[in-house]
Amino acid sequence: MITQTLFNGLVTGAIISLPALAITLLFGVLKFPNFAVGSIVTVAAYAVFALNVQLGWPLLVAAVVAAALCGAFLILVDSVIFRPMRDSGSITLMVASLGLGLILENLARFFYGNAARSFDLELSMPFRVGALRMNSEQLVAIGMSALLMLAMYLLLMRMPMGRKMRAIADNPSLALVRGIDRAQVIRWTWMINGTLLAGAGVLIGMDRALEPLMGTNYLIAIFAAAILGGLGSPLGAFVGALIVGTSSELSTLVLPPGYRTGVPLCFIAAILIWRPQGLFGRPLIRR
Amino acid sequence: MNPVLELSELRAGYGTGDILKGVSLYVERGKIVTIIGPNGSGKSTLLKTLIGLVPVREGDILLNGQSIRAFGATRRVRAGLAYVPQEYNVFANMTVLENLQISHEFAARKGHRPAGNVLSDELRELFPELAGKLATRAGNLSGGQRQMLAFACALSVRPDLLILDEPSAGLSPKYMADIFKSVERVNKTGVSVLMVEQNAVEALAISDQCIVMANGRVRLDATARQVEQMDLHELYLGPLAEQAA
Amino acid sequence: MISYLLLMGTIACFSAILALALNFQWGLGGMVNFGLAGFYSLGAYSAALLAVKAGANVFVATAGAMLVVGAICGIVALVTLRVAEEDYFAIVTLGVGEMLRLVVLNEDWLTGGALGVTGIPRPFGPSVASASYPIVQFGVAALVLLATFLFLNVIARSPFGRVMRAIREDEIVAATLGKNVLWARVRIFAIGGALIGLAGGMHAYYYQYIDPTQFTNILIAYAFMAVIAGGRGAHAGTVWGAVFVIVLLEGSRFLKDFIPGVNADQLAALRIILIGIGLLLLLLFRPQGFLREYRLRTRPEPKVNAAGMVTADR
Repeated sequence: MITQTLFNGLVTGAIISLPALAITLLFGVLKFPNFAVGSIVTVAAYAVFALNVQLGWPLLVAAVVAAALCGAFLILVDSVIFRPMRDSGSITLMVASLGLGLILENLARFFYGNAARSFDLELSMPFRVGALRMNSEQLVAIGMSALLMLAMYLLLMRMPMGRKMRAIADNPSLALVRGIDRAQVIRWTWMINGTLLAGAGVLIGMDRALEPLMGTNYLIAIFAAAILGGLGSPLGAFVGALIVGTSSELSTLVLPPGYRTGVPLCFIAAILIWRPQGLFGRPLIRR
Repeated sequence: MNPVLELSELRAGYGTGDILKGVSLYVERGKIVTIIGPNGSGKSTLLKTLIGLVPVREGDILLNGQSIRAFGATRRVRAGLAYVPQEYNVFANMTVLENLQISHEFAARKGHRPAGNVLSDELRELFPELAGKLATRAGNLSGGQRQMLAFACALSVRPDLLILDEPSAGLSPKYMADIFKSVERVNKTGVSVLMVEQNAVEALAISDQCIVMANGRVRLDATARQVEQMDLHELYLGPLAEQAA
Repeated sequence: MISYLLLMGTIACFSAILALALNFQWGLGGMVNFGLAGFYSLGAYSAALLAVKAGANVFVATAGAMLVVGAICGIVALVTLRVAEEDYFAIVTLGVGEMLRLVVLNEDWLTGGALGVTGIPRPFGPSVASASYPIVQFGVAALVLLATFLFLNVIARSPFGRVMRAIREDEIVAATLGKNVLWARVRIFAIGGALIGLAGGMHAYYYQYIDPTQFTNILIAYAFMAVIAGGRGAHAGTVWGAVFVIVLLEGSRFLKDFIPGVNADQLAALRIILIGIGLLLLLLFRPQGFLREYRLRTRPEPKVNAAGMVTADR
């Protein structure tokens, strides 16, 4: 029973690690928590749906194209909405992201209604591996998430663009002075966000179903993961997501299921009280 | 005369009011110019304005004869400036090597600068301590070593003009001497230097020109030798006396 | 027509109190409360349950709501303000609001779950004739709003108000001057919470039934619009901002007359989209609002903003 729950938790953790990484990267570069992240996942998922179910494209192709579209869309949104507000402080940006989230969620609702949808995918039968019951969607979730994490790790640690992103997160004015093109880094960050969030959208759509709240349901868990790991630390986002995912699932063994999303909340509270910088973050120095 | 930098009636500041109230000066190519003055005179702000962190309100900045007033910081670096801030001048959470790589990649992108090794031979010669610490997190370096790294990164982009904000601040006497020696050596390779310093005596010893600032304006612009001869009283009661007014 | 305006006016009154609460906590206290919807529902449910299950009269029920929400807000502030960063505080309040929503949904033995609480009696039902009830209701609501407004103005101009502004401008300086920053902030958040409770109670008594669908996160968007439109920190402005939002909301109800071919769900979604766009437009073009707060001009301190540029502290 416990191993099964742990496994389910692993899958959940794998799914939320993608948006958690997305917001932690964004926070590092743009210094505000993006409350629209849940709705972006939703819209990306519906974009995949449109390509996959309405146009008949294979799911993988639809996902890749949607990821690119999502990234481009986010770059546009940034230049229209967030860039003019860059000097205005993080609360303005947070409220703006809240507004954006409302718009996106309701765009999905406007075009697709409240009924649940699913991708054009053959129904896979669950199978057993030892004592565990699993299905192929779950394995895809773990695999895809691991792959994307690895790609992100290589990007951040080995490639010049990754170094630039970490440099801007570390010290924005020094980054300017060392010649780093901030606008370019910001575009890349949004592109990466688009990819990660579209990926999450596909995984959630496969694991559950598509409906307008599919992304926002995970909002608290995503933030809990990112904060637990330390806002700004990519490794932290990954570890945080796994911890939040597994503990949420494990909590269903002792708590009524309606409270499952309450567990991440407790994490947020506990972390912020005892160790605000999270597991891997550094104390935020506002200079 | 062919100044590498020329400022004319520069006004700048943040919030209401100007911090720089019309600064005019020039830096001759290949020289070392030191700016001294009391706290609050705008010296640091001047450097920040030059690199592009504080917006210019009036006046102009000419680098190699070209106006860079409208350029952002990145473009100014591409045009030939390099800046070492007084504090937080390295990426503390990245290794020494990564710090150097960032500047090196920038230099390589400039195109007409040679690429070569991240820690070039000349940098290795100037800052031998860095070679052994490439994998160390920059935040874990000592103050003097951090300064060396900041300096090396600035030099990596092969600037025409190097701008330093109190390079010797907080350093032990040994590192202070090292830093000034490095400044001299770098200057001999053709890099012009503009620095703000509180350790006036040591700084003037290696400088060609000295500028005294007070209250957001240039009060005195003379050769370093002339300023060295001046009595401290003369200096502070003369050009700086107007500050009280 | 008159009675429609009176009803709208009543709603505007307690919505304004809610917006004033946000303005007080954020605009004056520097603490942004993203859990507004959750706390508002806490106030409404407290008043409703006291009225329906404990038979309390309107004053006791409302006072109870104010006490409950004020206390919870105080505790949240006390526990969270170790991490004074605006971003983290916002996230925590978001989480607390969400937690409250979960409790309301799950503890249906207490709250009726998705069905809510019904049968909240009219506060002055027996003593007022049916025909004139809307006027009386509006009158009372307006009086309460006025009292709240005056109360907040008194605080703003009091020594405590000065302390609050000092803390908001520069926390470290305020602390070195011996002001107990933590307690001041806890009090601010708690007082704001009590106002949220008041608004919640009024909401419950107006609609006479409450359920979870009345307390979605759209509320926080409306409240922000009201506060931002009115100019953060300016109390009078917030009231006008609330009126502005209510007008916008009611106006958009008539959209369906202009847009053929959309069903009810789509219309609801469209209205929220327009609200969201309105909020963004406000933030982009008029973030300072339409009225200004009285402030002493001081020399700005340099601050490095997120882009790395040196600016004056806002």
